[in-house]
Amino acid sequence: MFSYYFRLALVSMRRNPILSALMIAAIGLGIGASMTTITVNYVMSSNPIPHKSDDLYYVQLDSWDPNNAANEPNEPPDQVTWTDAMALMRDAPALRQGAQAKSNLVLEPPGDDERPFMVLARSNFADFFPMFDLPFLYGSGWDRDADEARELVVVLSREINDRVFGGENSVGRTLRLGGQHFRVVGVIDEWSPMPKFYDVTNGPFDEPEEIFIPFNTMVDFQFSRSGNTNCWKAVDGNGFDAFLRSECVWIQFWAELPSQAERDEYMQFLNSYVEQQKALGRFPRPMNNRLSNVMQWMENQEVVDDDAQVMMWLSLMFLVVCLLNTVGLLLSKFLAKSHEIGLRRAVGASRGQLFTQHLVESATIGLAGGLLGLGLAWLGLRGIELLFGDMVDRMTNMDWVMVLAAIGLAIVSAIVAGLYPTWRACNVQPAAQLKSI
Amino acid sequence: MLSMQQIAKVYRTDTVETHALRELTLTVDEGDFVAVTGPSGSGKTTFLNIAGLLETFSSGTYMLDGRDVSNLNDSARSKLRNEKIGFIFQSFNLIPDLNIFDNVDVPLRYRGFKSAERKARIEKYLDVVGLSGRMKHLPSQLSGGQQQRVAIARALAGEPRFLLADEPTGNLDSAMARSVMGLLKEINEEGTTIVMVTHDPTLANEAKTNIHLKDGVVSETASISQLGNGKQNAA
Amino acid sequence: MEFGPILRAMTRNKTGAILIALQIAFTMTIMINAIHIIEERNDAMARPSGLDEANLFYLTSTGFADDFNEQQQIEEDLRQIRALSGVVNAVQINAIPLSGGGWSMGLSTEPGADADGTGVAVYFVDEHGIDTFGVEQVAGENFDITDVGWRERTDTEWPDKTILTVAMATEMFPDDPMSAVGKTVYINDTEPMTVIGLIKTLQAPWNGWSGVERSMLVPQKMLFGSARYLIRTEPGARDTLMPQVEEMLAASNRGRIIRSMRSLEETRERSYRGDRSMTLMLKIVVGILTAVTALGIVGLASFAVNRRTRQIGTRRALGASKGDIMRYFLVENFMITTMGVVLGAIMTVIFNIMLVDSLSLPPLNVWYIPAAVLVMWAVGFLAVSGPARRASNVPPAVATRTA
Repeated sequence: MFSYYFRLALVSMRRNPILSALMIAAIGLGIGASMTTITVNYVMSSNPIPHKSDDLYYVQLDSWDPNNAANEPNEPPDQVTWTDAMALMRDAPALRQGAQAKSNLVLEPPGDDERPFMVLARSNFADFFPMFDLPFLYGSGWDRDADEARELVVVLSREINDRVFGGENSVGRTLRLGGQHFRVVGVIDEWSPMPKFYDVTNGPFDEPEEIFIPFNTMVDFQFSRSGNTNCWKAVDGNGFDAFLRSECVWIQFWAELPSQAERDEYMQFLNSYVEQQKALGRFPRPMNNRLSNVMQWMENQEVVDDDAQVMMWLSLMFLVVCLLNTVGLLLSKFLAKSHEIGLRRAVGASRGQLFTQHLVESATIGLAGGLLGLGLAWLGLRGIELLFGDMVDRMTNMDWVMVLAAIGLAIVSAIVAGLYPTWRACNVQPAAQLKSI
Repeated sequence: MLSMQQIAKVYRTDTVETHALRELTLTVDEGDFVAVTGPSGSGKTTFLNIAGLLETFSSGTYMLDGRDVSNLNDSARSKLRNEKIGFIFQSFNLIPDLNIFDNVDVPLRYRGFKSAERKARIEKYLDVVGLSGRMKHLPSQLSGGQQQRVAIARALAGEPRFLLADEPTGNLDSAMARSVMGLLKEINEEGTTIVMVTHDPTLANEAKTNIHLKDGVVSETASISQLGNGKQNAA
Repeated sequence: MEFGPILRAMTRNKTGAILIALQIAFTMTIMINAIHIIEERNDAMARPSGLDEANLFYLTSTGFADDFNEQQQIEEDLRQIRALSGVVNAVQINAIPLSGGGWSMGLSTEPGADADGTGVAVYFVDEHGIDTFGVEQVAGENFDITDVGWRERTDTEWPDKTILTVAMATEMFPDDPMSAVGKTVYINDTEPMTVIGLIKTLQAPWNGWSGVERSMLVPQKMLFGSARYLIRTEPGARDTLMPQVEEMLAASNRGRIIRSMRSLEETRERSYRGDRSMTLMLKIVVGILTAVTALGIVGLASFAVNRRTRQIGTRRALGASKGDIMRYFLVENFMITTMGVVLGAIMTVIFNIMLVDSLSLPPLNVWYIPAAVLVMWAVGFLAVSGPARRASNVPPAVATRTA
C-alpha cells in the first residue's frame, strides 16, 4: 500500500511540476539556511571534552580593583596573577591542576640549513597532559619533578615534529627555542578541542599550540608572552620580577576535581587563601572566588558568537516562512483535489487511508526538500568558509549528528507543514464533492 | 427590445471549425416572455451567451434596446450587461463566500450606486422574492429554491430592461421549479422582458412565445409569435 | 472600493489569508532586523582609521641570535627603510590600528588611584609617527627627536609628553577639548604627562571597542624582543616595496626572522571580514526570503483564481469589467498584506527588543518600519498582479457553463 501511495505522490507532484518544485525549493532553502547556522552554533557550543567536562574546573579569584569589578556585574577577572597561581600550585588540594599561559617563540631546528621560525607555544605544568587527555604519538608529557627542577623539556605537536624531524620519533632529540636548548620528551597526535576551552581568554577558536614547555622554564627565561594581560594597578618598579609580583592577571588556571567533596575542599582552600592574602593587604574586594566546570565556563565566557546566534534565529524564522509557504501551497493543492478525494471516499477509501496517502505525499516533498536542504547546508558551510577564511576553519564541519538532524528536521517540517492541509482535505464530505459544483 | 440579424458564431481550433450558430435571426419584443428550446448542441447556450453579451459573434448584427452592440469593446459590454440585463443561471452562481445581502449587492456595486440606494434595492428585491429575513445567511444555508430566488433578486436589483434565464429550474425539484416559474411570470407581468433558455417543453409552454433552435438556427416559432425570419428547416 | 464584502468573503476562507499574512509578517521581521544589522555594520566599517591606509604596510623583526643587538638593529633598520626611494616615512610601533591586538591604559585628569581613568589605546612612536600615519595634527606640536627614549619590555615608567586624539581629549576635557594642549594628564594613577599636541583621528586596534577613537601617542622606541615597523609609501609604490623591504631586512641580519608582513588594507579587510560576511549573508537571506514569499503569494493567488473561476465569470456576467476583477484581487491582497505588516511591525519591534537585550544590538530606527511596509505592499502587488491579470481574463461565458 505504501508503494501505491508513493506512486500517487509522484504522479501528483508531476501534475504540478512548478508548484512541486517551489515547495521542495522552499523547504530546501529553509532547511539549508537553518542547518548551516545551526551547525556553526552547534560546533561553537559543543562540549570539547565530554567525558571529563564535569571534572575540570576553571579557577577565578577576585583580586581586582576595589572600585570596579573586573567585569560587570561583579565578575572576578578571567585570569589569575602569578603570585596566586604559584600559591595554588604549591598548596591547593586538587587531583591535578595547572597554571598556563600563551607565548610566541623562535624555534631553531637542528642543522645549519634550516631557517628559524616562530611557533605558537603554551607554557604549562606537568598535569596539563593527563588532565586534558592529550593523545601522545611518541613519548609522554614531562612529570611534576621536571616542573620542580625547571627542566628544559618540550612536547611537540605532530605538525612541528613532521616539519622539524620529518615525522620520526624525536624523543630525546634537542632543538633551540628562544635561544635555549630543549630536549623533546613527547610528540602529541592531532589535538584541537572545539572550542579551545582551556584558553578562551585568548580566543576560543584560535589555532592549537605547536609546542608545550614547562611554565617555570618560561618564567625563568622571561620568554615573551603573547596572551592577554590585564592590570588594575600600576606595576611597582621596573623589571620582570616586578611584573611577576604585580596584580596583573595573565595566567589561566584549571583544576581537576572529580567529586563534590574535592570541590568543596578546594573552594574552602581558595577562601582561606584569600583571607590570608587580605590580611597581607591584597584582595581589596569582597570574597568572590569561582569554580566553573567546562560548560559553565564556556557559557560564562559567551564563546558562541553573537552574530552566529543572530543568524541562527533569523534563519529559523526563515524556515518558518518557508514552512508557511509550503502549508499554503499544499493546502491549495489538496483543496483543488477535493473532487478526487470525494471520489475516492465514495468508492470506499477510509478517511485514514486518504490521510495516509496525502501524508505520504507531504513526506515525499519533505524528503526531497530535506535532501536539497542538506546539499544547500553543505554549500552554505563552504560559503561561510569562503567568506570568513581561516577565522572559521574548524567551525564548519558537519558531523553525522548534524546530517541526521538535517534530514530529520526536513521530514518533520514537511509532515508538520502537510498535516493541516491533509486533515483539511480529508474532511471533505464524499457526497458534497460528487454533486456538480 | 432585442433583434438579431443573421448572427453566426464559429468556434475555431487549429484543426476544427464548429458552427454553433448559423445566421440566426430573431426578434424579441418589449414585454415578451420568450422560451428558447432545443436539443443539446442546438446552440441554445451560445445564443444565450451572445444575447447576454457574454460572448462576441463572428458575423451579423445585434440590436439591444435599439442600440447596435455588435462592435462594442469589453468594458462597454460589461457596462451594458450591468445596466440592461439581469441573469438567472441554472446553478444559481451565488458567491459561496458572501452572504445573501452581499450577493445581491454584487451588480449594484459595479453599477456604482451609493450605499443607501444599494441597501434600499437589496431589501426591496429580497422582499419581492420573499427572503428578506435571510440577509445574513450564506448560500449554503439555503435550499436550492431559495438560492434561485436570491439569484432572481440579484438579477432584478439592477432593474434591468430584460432578464436572461438559463434553465432557471434545472437544478430544482418540481415544487420549487413551479414557484420560481411563478415568480418569473409575475416579473414579466410587471413589464420586464424575459428570455428563458430551457430544454423542458412543459416549462416552455408557460412562456408567451416559444422559439425552437436546431443546429444553430431557429427551426420553429410558436404561439403569439413575433418571429424572426430565419431559414426554416422542417422539424 | 468594496472593502466590506472582500473582508467578509475572506473571513469565510481564513486559512489562506492567514498563511500569507504570517509569511509577510515574518518576512518583514527578518527583513527589517537584517537591514538594521547591515546598516549598523556598514556604519562601523565606514569609520575612518585616520591612517593613509592605501599606502601603509608593516612587518615584524624578531631577533634570535645570541649576538643580536636589538637597539642598534632598530636604528639601522629605520635608517635604511626611510632611505629607500618610494618610502615616505617609517616608524617602529607597538600595535597596528584595526589589527585587534594592542595595549591600553587609563588616563585621568587628577592624580590618585581613586580618580576615574579613561581607557585609551597606546601607540609608542618616535617623531616620525604622525607623518607615517598620515594623520592630521590639529593643535600643539609633534614630538621632538630629543623627546624619544627607549623602553624595555618590563619598564613601567612613562615619559612626560604625549599626543592625544581629539576624541580622547573630548572625553577628558568635554568643555573645551582644544584646551587640552599644555594640560597635564595622569597615567598609572600618579605619573604626570603633558599633552603637547592633538591629532584628528587615529583608531585604536580594537574595532569593536566603544572607545575606538581614543588613542594616545607616547614618544618611545621599544626593546621588546620583536620590533614592528609601519611603513608609508608613495602612492602606488607599496606593492613593489613590500617584498623589497622584507628582503632587505632579512639580508641585513641573518640572526632574525622577518615575519607577519601585511598591508593595512589587508588588515582592514581581516578586521571587518566577519562584519562584511555577516552583511552579505543577511543580504542573501533577505533576497531569497523575499523571493520565496513572493512566489508563495503567486502560488496561493493562482489557486485562489482557479478555485474562483466560476465566481469570476459570474461577476463578469453581472457587469464587472476586467478592471473590476483585477482590482478585486489587488485589493484583497492589499488587505492581507496590510494585516501581515501590522503583525510584522509588532513582531519586528519584539524581535529587536530581544536582540537589544540579549546581544546588545542598538535599537531599531523606527523609519525602517514604514519603509518596509511600502516594500511589502510593493512585493505583494507585484506577486499578485500576474494571477490577478489571469483572473481578469476569465471569460464571462464561464457563468453559463454547466459544471
